[in-house]
Amino acid sequence: MALLELKGIARSYKTGQIKVDALKGIDISIEEGDFISIMGPSGSGKSTLLNIIGCLDKPTSGTYEIAGRRVEKMTDGQLADIRNRLIGFVFQSFHLLPDLDAQANVELPLIYRGISGRERRKRAIAALESVGLGDRLHHLPSQLSGGEQQRVAIARAIVGDPAVILADEPTGALDSRSGENIMSIFRDLNHNQGKTIVQVTHEKSVARYGHKIFHLLDGEIERIEVVNDSISQEVRVK
Amino acid sequence: MTKRLYSLLIRFWFAAKMAGHGILANPLRSALTILGVAIGVTSVVSLMGIGEGARQAVVEQFESFGTNVIAIKAQDASVEFKPEEAEELVERVEGLEMATPVVNTKAVMRWRRARGYVNVIGVNSQFPQIRDHDVIAGHFFTRWHVMQRSPVAVLGYNMAVGLMGGRSPVGQTISLNGETYRIVGVLAAKGSGKAEGIDDKVVIPYTTAQKIAEKRTVEEIWGKAASSKEADLVVVQLGRIYKRKLGLDQSAPTPVTTEVEGGPPEAMMKAGMVKTVMKPGGDRPKKPSIPGGEDLITITNLNQLVKEADKANRVMTLLLGGIAAVSLLVGGLGIMNIMLVAVTERTEEIGVRRALGAKQADLLIQFLLEALYVSGIGAVAGIVAGIWGLNVFERYGFETAVSFQAVKTAAVIAIGCGLLFGVYPAVSASSVPPVEALRRQ
Repeated sequence: MALLELKGIARSYKTGQIKVDALKGIDISIEEGDFISIMGPSGSGKSTLLNIIGCLDKPTSGTYEIAGRRVEKMTDGQLADIRNRLIGFVFQSFHLLPDLDAQANVELPLIYRGISGRERRKRAIAALESVGLGDRLHHLPSQLSGGEQQRVAIARAIVGDPAVILADEPTGALDSRSGENIMSIFRDLNHNQGKTIVQVTHEKSVARYGHKIFHLLDGEIERIEVVNDSISQEVRVK
Repeated sequence: MTKRLYSLLIRFWFAAKMAGHGILANPLRSALTILGVAIGVTSVVSLMGIGEGARQAVVEQFESFGTNVIAIKAQDASVEFKPEEAEELVERVEGLEMATPVVNTKAVMRWRRARGYVNVIGVNSQFPQIRDHDVIAGHFFTRWHVMQRSPVAVLGYNMAVGLMGGRSPVGQTISLNGETYRIVGVLAAKGSGKAEGIDDKVVIPYTTAQKIAEKRTVEEIWGKAASSKEADLVVVQLGRIYKRKLGLDQSAPTPVTTEVEGGPPEAMMKAGMVKTVMKPGGDRPKKPSIPGGEDLITITNLNQLVKEADKANRVMTLLLGGIAAVSLLVGGLGIMNIMLVAVTERTEEIGVRRALGAKQADLLIQFLLEALYVSGIGAVAGIVAGIWGLNVFERYGFETAVSFQAVKTAAVIAIGCGLLFGVYPAVSASSVPPVEALRRQ
């Protein structure tokens, strides 16, 4: 049983009279320990797909199971629980809360899980130390560099020990050196701690950190590329 | 179960903390909103306090007359009472315990070398019980003094203090219109202007006062009923007695239309009588009167006056409070306005929280608490300012009273406003879909 199982996922929006199909029947299964990159031109539906995987959005049709639980019929509150326990988000623009320091930001998911103060602090500090920010616990986001902010965001994503980490253009707002640093953290999380990671990116070099690259075009998976260290095999879907 | 409760508590506590952050994030804006609420609460507390003060002043005024007092007063020169009527009434009217004829007059008083006009009141020996006066020095004059027309006097408090500078004047003598009076007692102070200015009067037996006033009749009789319930009945009975006595109505006991001498006025009187009989202790003091003419006499239950004054002033207090409540409402709208702005500004924050697992309830509580903080702080500030404002008013001679009811009302309305006007923004904050919230940046 795959960790994430998407079958026939479609998502359409209505803008006035026009119906836009953002996703047209996606079938994906992601195993535990996978590192998946999703690529595609803008408008190909990759962000929509990530939102659905992240339970931020519901598919119009199709079924989605995460860790054996059917998501598409869940209530808002149940989805919040899924996001809280099974998913860790890393966003392009970090999305840290500006008036909370690094440690408080990292504690957020644990608070919504209802974990008490001492336990929260312990885990938040451990998470921040694991991304190399043990000395920046009480800095506000505005006092941190972009790379550091993104590392805080990663600490926030892993502190709750989620089943999957979802990253939306994690290096998009960073210079190349910080970007590499971030990606090496992801690789380490995946390689040494067995974390499942799904990222959306439009940079080939970033995408190649993953084991597989899903190429999206017009709401459909165009091809799946398997990255094999230096050589990459291409599997044609259609 | 306890674990679940505990985790709810943690989330609630955090929402409370974040609501505080929300206020501190924009101190000027929050302060102005709080000010809006505070001004509303201040005006409610202070205006209601002024109204309440006026009410209490009037009530105290009337209460100083004594409890269960009934005053029978001639309003027309053609009507006079014989002093003996007082005792007669006590015998005839059930529930009337005591009564005294009252003679109000003025006399030239001489004390050592000083002289001047004083107000003199002539009564019988039951006067202190009827009007609830305490005698603080000496004693009141007795029935015997009254019968003998003794030249004895009891001084009002101010009068006594004025004469002897605080030492007891009992045993001294004063002269009224050239006759020498022995001072036998001093009445306790009622307060300035209270009880018809008794503090500045000289009280003497009515028999003696009649001499000074040069008349055999009296224009007022004061009685005391056994209880406030009896007082209402006594007024009804007195009304009947005096109507008959004055030839206004001869069929008093039966509320049936009968032919009575006196012509047209009689019909109206009948209506009045029916009311009296049907509703003993009705809410208006009974006044026998000739329609179209002045009242001949008035029979007044002072309890009733207190109640009516109280009621009238209560209405005024509520009116003032109502006007002030409008400004409180405006303050509440200020909260709603600011909260709506805050929700729009903080969609990103909302989205992030939702992505990290915040439920709608978490955000609802957070934003609701933020509105409650503003209204709560505003209420406290307004109550403090309102009480301070009342002190200022008091310094300028207003009768004020910090009414607990006004404070309570203002606080409840302010916090209610916070809740009411906080709910909509809070609901709109919590119902933004997470994707939407994250997209808008």
